[in-house]
Amino acid sequence: MIVPHTPAGSTALRFYVEVARTAYRRQLIYRWANIAGLCTNAFFAAIGSYVVVALFRVRASAGGYHLAETVQYIWLLQALTMPVLPFGWMDLMLTIRSGDVVSDLSKPCDFYWYWAGREIGRSLYFLAFRALPTYVLGMVLFGIGLPSQPDRWLLFVASAILAATLGIAYRFLYNIAAFWVVEARAVATMAHQIALFCTGMIIPVAFFPSWLRAITGWLPFNALMNLPAEFFLGKVPGSQVAFELSRQAVWVLALTLIARRVAAIAARRVVVQGG
Amino acid sequence: MGILIEAEKLSKTFRVAQRRGGHLGGLLSVVAPEVRLVAAVRDLTLQVQAGEMIGLVGPNGAGKSTTIKMLTGILTPSGGHIRVAGLDPQRRRRDLAGRIGVVFGQRTQLWWDLPLIDSLQLLRHLYRVPADRHAANLARLSAMLDLEPFLRTPVRQLSLGQRMRGDLAAALLHDPQLLYLDEPTIGLDVVAKARIREFLLTLNAEQGVTVLLTTHDMDDVETLCPRLVIIDHGRKLYDGTTAAIRERFGTERTLVAVLDPAELARLPRDGVGHVVLPDLPAGVRLVSAEGPRLLLEFARDAIAGHEMVSWLGSRYRLHDVTFQEPQTEDVIRRIYEGGLLAPAAHHGG
Amino acid sequence: MNRALFSDLALYRRLIVLQMRAQLQYRANLLIDIATYLAVTGLEFVALLILFGSFPRLGDWTVGQVALLYGVSSFGFGLAEMIGAGIDGFNQTILRGEFDRLLVRPVGAFIQVVGSDFRLRRLGRITQGIAAIAVSLHLLPGIHWTIAQVLVLSAGIASTAAIFLSVLLLGATICFWTVETTELTNILTYGGCYMLSYPLSIYGRPLQRFFLFVVPLAFGGYAPVCYVLGRPLALGLPGQIALAAPAVAALFALVSAAFWRLGVRHYQSTGS
Repeated sequence: MIVPHTPAGSTALRFYVEVARTAYRRQLIYRWANIAGLCTNAFFAAIGSYVVVALFRVRASAGGYHLAETVQYIWLLQALTMPVLPFGWMDLMLTIRSGDVVSDLSKPCDFYWYWAGREIGRSLYFLAFRALPTYVLGMVLFGIGLPSQPDRWLLFVASAILAATLGIAYRFLYNIAAFWVVEARAVATMAHQIALFCTGMIIPVAFFPSWLRAITGWLPFNALMNLPAEFFLGKVPGSQVAFELSRQAVWVLALTLIARRVAAIAARRVVVQGG
Repeated sequence: MGILIEAEKLSKTFRVAQRRGGHLGGLLSVVAPEVRLVAAVRDLTLQVQAGEMIGLVGPNGAGKSTTIKMLTGILTPSGGHIRVAGLDPQRRRRDLAGRIGVVFGQRTQLWWDLPLIDSLQLLRHLYRVPADRHAANLARLSAMLDLEPFLRTPVRQLSLGQRMRGDLAAALLHDPQLLYLDEPTIGLDVVAKARIREFLLTLNAEQGVTVLLTTHDMDDVETLCPRLVIIDHGRKLYDGTTAAIRERFGTERTLVAVLDPAELARLPRDGVGHVVLPDLPAGVRLVSAEGPRLLLEFARDAIAGHEMVSWLGSRYRLHDVTFQEPQTEDVIRRIYEGGLLAPAAHHGG
Repeated sequence: MNRALFSDLALYRRLIVLQMRAQLQYRANLLIDIATYLAVTGLEFVALLILFGSFPRLGDWTVGQVALLYGVSSFGFGLAEMIGAGIDGFNQTILRGEFDRLLVRPVGAFIQVVGSDFRLRRLGRITQGIAAIAVSLHLLPGIHWTIAQVLVLSAGIASTAAIFLSVLLLGATICFWTVETTELTNILTYGGCYMLSYPLSIYGRPLQRFFLFVVPLAFGGYAPVCYVLGRPLALGLPGQIALAAPAVAALFALVSAAFWRLGVRHYQSTGS
């Protein structure tokens, strides 16, 4: 990818915006892959929906959720998967393995913002072409609805933006770990599965035993998928809103700063050692 | 010794789907694709006797690989008739496979993660070779190809030359009558190439294995193949000996004469300042003159080589004289580019 | 024809043994891989159990009953994953142009494909399946196990494996035409396993009919489990259809094999 010379100030912003736009446009080419992915999302959401429909035959509500909300939750999480993309993203790791990253790190642009810009572009694509269609399918197939209150939308959007940004920092971090860790497959696989569990994708967080909820509430995974969903469904009591959003923002800040720091260390290693 | 390969009016036409443009195009391409017919091989007739060694030559996309694939049963012909070792490759693929060996230059037949010896042992079971015959063949091939140093190395760690030797052994363990080699020396260094060529010559001479070899390397052809088949645009252009083609189309020889520098001043020049040699014999022309180095091209039948040298020597003081023979490569290139050969009509062979 | 089949099977056995030996050489790594896979799939089972913490029943199935179904599905799918890894990776074979070399050997192409990869580490999921079944037995003290029931359940597990392998083969065959649809096959395999871990009766009728009469996975897990538990089946079908599981699996396998042969012929007529 052609990278123009050192951008600074407003030209810097324009550069990263251009990076995002290019990434968005590139993603448009993979139409069929996207449709296949959409089918996957919809299928798993549908299965989950059938299961909870059967579960709620004997109870009207559990964990503060009743049936309609739970089905919404399931479709929403599937929809959010690609824009937030906490898992299954290896692009950076692949450039590290192939050695291409060395030239990327030597480029006169900020390494982290370059990748972040690229991922923002892709997130926007997936928002439009995966998240939206997935949820619409849920509306068509299972009759789920949308929030009626504008403040819920506002909180949801705010939380979702934070979640997407957190997702970028999170996946950047576990990819750049490849710089130092050559082969830790078992640990990585296990960590992946635990993370998947804590986001609520295997079973809704609402159904965790309360002690587990307390623990996972403090993990970044909660901020990635479960929290935006809770805002969407209006499950966060007014008194907690500020706290939850702040906690999420703190995670975003923390992981982003750590990611940038790690990127800087890696860059210096490349310059000193030549890869 | 009889006819091993008999291919008559072989042809293969591919239907290539064209991608349509535009948004709807992608969908249309799946439902109602636009199809273009590509004739990869047309009316190819070929007869190969047992024990022959043949080079199959042609530019990329000429149809060589397609032909080999049809002969081995990988591809079904669109038209024509084939018999290899008396079998129809499409119908008796598995039976035929037991009698042939194939080496693809770029892709290995060996198992990537296993040591070479394991691959070779596995092939015994694959081809159902009796244990003692397999052991004897393995010992013999191992000696001829010098496999011992890397028999226990996993194939993925072998160099290209080692892997090629391993592939050759793998292809020959079951005593095939016929060996197909697709670009066997590609990417190898000079020494490795020489070894492989030596091995193939011995194989053909001592065991009578018929070898059909596709290659771009003219040295392969010159060293190994008394018979040459040229294919271009799916048609057979030439089927005969390598020597004959050089004689027929390599009618021009080149003489490189290095004059004594003192002679240079004496040489007349034309209006532009280029050297001119007056009174050149008919059929001889001066191609270039770089300082004292003259390049003269002359038709083989216009004047004999030694006569050319004495003509020059009687007029000018010479320092050195050499002949450049026409390269088969150049000859063949001229044939492709100049369309010097019309597609061969149905020949006896 | 028979000689060819026997020699192919003998070759398959040899290929498998060779790979098992190679994988067992790195015993520590293998055990770690198995343990990891067991933990990953185990977490999914634990999630199921957690779910039952909030809900007493699924449809009208109890936790023990669902656990049995879950275990049977997992066991069967794990077997298919272990045996069929070569089929699953077939799109790579086509992409790398490696299919030609399979055709110049005097062995059937399918045996070479299925024999090319045998993943012992999938024992992780198989262990999880067995563990889930064990848990279910603990949660279902009221069942009187007869030989017939054990046989039906075992046949069901084997049938599940066979049907999943056939689905994998169908997915591989499609690669002869296009390699762009591998994700859709994943929906049928991983999605199918996930789906059939829960009672078929909770799904809509079209889905029930699909997994009974089109891709008959329900014959492998759902029907035998219903038979063993003495439960009525979806669509009002009699419990005895569980006895037909091996026949159904064999039929589906034949269909899949026929399609594969069609695919190979297509490859031979159009090249890579």
